[in-house]
Amino acid sequence: MKQTLVRKEPEKGSSAVQEAGMPQGRLLLSPQVNVAKRILMSEYFVLYLTILYILILTPIIPRLWHPMNIRNILSNMWPLLVVAIGQTFVLILAGIDLSQTSVMAMSSVVGAVVMTSSADPILFTKSPLWGVFLTEQGGLLGGSPWALPVGILAMLAVGLIIGFLNGFSVAYFRMPPFIVTLVSMMLFSAMAIFLTKSENIRYLPEAYLRISKSWFSVISGAMIIAIILAIVAHILLTRTLFGKRLYAVGINTTASQISGVPARRTIITAYMVSGLCASIAAVLYSSRLEMGRPTLGSTLFIDIVGANIIGGISLAGGKGKITWTIFGVFFFIILANSLNMLNLSFYIIDMVKGSVILIAALLDVARNRIRKAQM
Amino acid sequence: MRKLTVLFVVLCLLVPTLLFSAGGKEAKDDQITIAFCFQDLETEFWVAGHKAITETLRENGIKVIEKNANEDANRQLEQVKDVITQGVDGVIIIPQDGESAVTIAKACNEAGVPIGIFNRPPSDKSAKNLVVVADNEVIAEAAVEHMAQEAMKLGRKVYPAIMVGDLGDPNAVGRRQGFMNVMAKYPDLWAHAPVEIPTKWDANVALANLQSAMQANPKIDFLFTSSDFLFPVIKSVLAPLGKWQLVGHPNHVILGGLDGDVTAAQLLEEKYLDATGVQNLFYEADLMLEAMLAAIKNGEKTPDKWMDDPGFALTQANLDTRAEEMWGWVLYKEKK
Repeated sequence: MKQTLVRKEPEKGSSAVQEAGMPQGRLLLSPQVNVAKRILMSEYFVLYLTILYILILTPIIPRLWHPMNIRNILSNMWPLLVVAIGQTFVLILAGIDLSQTSVMAMSSVVGAVVMTSSADPILFTKSPLWGVFLTEQGGLLGGSPWALPVGILAMLAVGLIIGFLNGFSVAYFRMPPFIVTLVSMMLFSAMAIFLTKSENIRYLPEAYLRISKSWFSVISGAMIIAIILAIVAHILLTRTLFGKRLYAVGINTTASQISGVPARRTIITAYMVSGLCASIAAVLYSSRLEMGRPTLGSTLFIDIVGANIIGGISLAGGKGKITWTIFGVFFFIILANSLNMLNLSFYIIDMVKGSVILIAALLDVARNRIRKAQM
Repeated sequence: MRKLTVLFVVLCLLVPTLLFSAGGKEAKDDQITIAFCFQDLETEFWVAGHKAITETLRENGIKVIEKNANEDANRQLEQVKDVITQGVDGVIIIPQDGESAVTIAKACNEAGVPIGIFNRPPSDKSAKNLVVVADNEVIAEAAVEHMAQEAMKLGRKVYPAIMVGDLGDPNAVGRRQGFMNVMAKYPDLWAHAPVEIPTKWDANVALANLQSAMQANPKIDFLFTSSDFLFPVIKSVLAPLGKWQLVGHPNHVILGGLDGDVTAAQLLEEKYLDATGVQNLFYEADLMLEAMLAAIKNGEKTPDKWMDDPGFALTQANLDTRAEEMWGWVLYKEKK
């Protein structure tokens, strides 16, 4: 995960290739093999796979297309997509952000402490927040019209601050991202539990709870937030100088620095984006669950990274697109939903999910080899 | 090429939608289907509870869909929404905590599917649900009352402590209150205010906190655990201190618990344990099934009923006469 000095070839999905229009050689193979390779190498490979999977499952699970199930799939998809987009930025950098789950927990707690309109003294008298930030009358701004905007801003600030700490440690102390974010995960998860003494904070403003609820058919606040975020992230990666720098640092940090790329600033920004996305996801998840939870997202990390890997975002860095993340999250959610609809046991569902992530990682290796052979 | 790809994708998603959702009304068979969504099976109590519910449902010819949320409230919410989509007639949950029970029950209320909450009650009554719950306060009080009677026989003051569960769980709150009722009843019996040891229903947390508590208060000789699953933890802390002794031994710590599990049955028989509060799991499963079937039969979409299991305390004094009423005792004897 550490940004290394090893020289890597620019790959498809990296802006370096897009910019240079690098020619790709082709081996003389039979048409069938060529078609198979073209599908395997396609940017839309995961999407094709998802469509195939849906077509196979449709006769087996007719309720897959039930309007209520489509609503379920989408409402499960938006928060995961938001947090996965943040992880994409860090993965492109050849890093990893294990602390996203703790950012979600801390954001959820901080937001709830600001917004809640009531707190039970039996549950919270032992909390260090009691009497100062939390009373029987609620949180800091409980009942005030400012509770919602200030609460959400506080949540986003938590994500940005933790992201900054992570990025700063990686960029300036040259610490491995795995260790930095692992420590952050432990520290902030424990802090969220310490602050609330592991209790959930309820009685959040009605307007906040409506964010994740369906407004009209499949349209919800979560959907609008996720789509806007995806568009902004896509533009950031493909149309801005920051995006080009991110790919450059992900491919080779040292080379990019020599070329004048402000690598440290790029790394810090990427981790801040990751933290910000995690805190936006915390808004969506905690409004959905109608409470601030100090354990929010604690089991979610494998889903976040799994969706990215399935989408084709390389753990080796320098490669990835927001559309791939969307495809990966979509496939992952469809997979989980369909396995639930098949009424398989929890253990089998997790084994299947794990196997799919493994296959996706192996496919990534295979695609890289084919690509190199074609060059 | 890109436009063609997009067109292909849209067609692929649209065709099955039209085929299966427009005319796709599935024939619903007559068999009742109930989804049983539990938070996990980490203790003997929940394993036995899972067995009691699924067996009771299946014995009554009901199709059961099982979902394990692996201690994740969000996952449990998603699973419940998935089973609602599958058209189940009712949902029974063991929630992760009282707060998530409310959120999940509201989702079922919105969908018009009856929901039953088993043994871990919702933290408020804003949603409509069937709730079966042991009267934790009364059961805990009965167990601790027996412990207090044993303490009085010592003719001196004793040093009390309670291992408290997750106070986000109303069960834990009720059990603590039952213990405190006895503390208030005999104020002259106690050498100091009870030491409260947090466990969060987690064996590792319980171990660390009990060790600390015993170091800070080495004279503790009256210990009530809010759940029987913590007895192995208690033994591992008390044994090295020479305090894991049979009832009547001078170093015996007067010990009580609540659940009535297999470990408690064994410890009662071996005379390490003074009393345990018993929840009648099989009775609770029957209560839930009866109420759920009645709701389904009457077409009630949002039944709202709170049902109590009065429970009882199994002690060294009534072991010979009431042991067979404890679910853990029955399983213990089967294992033997």
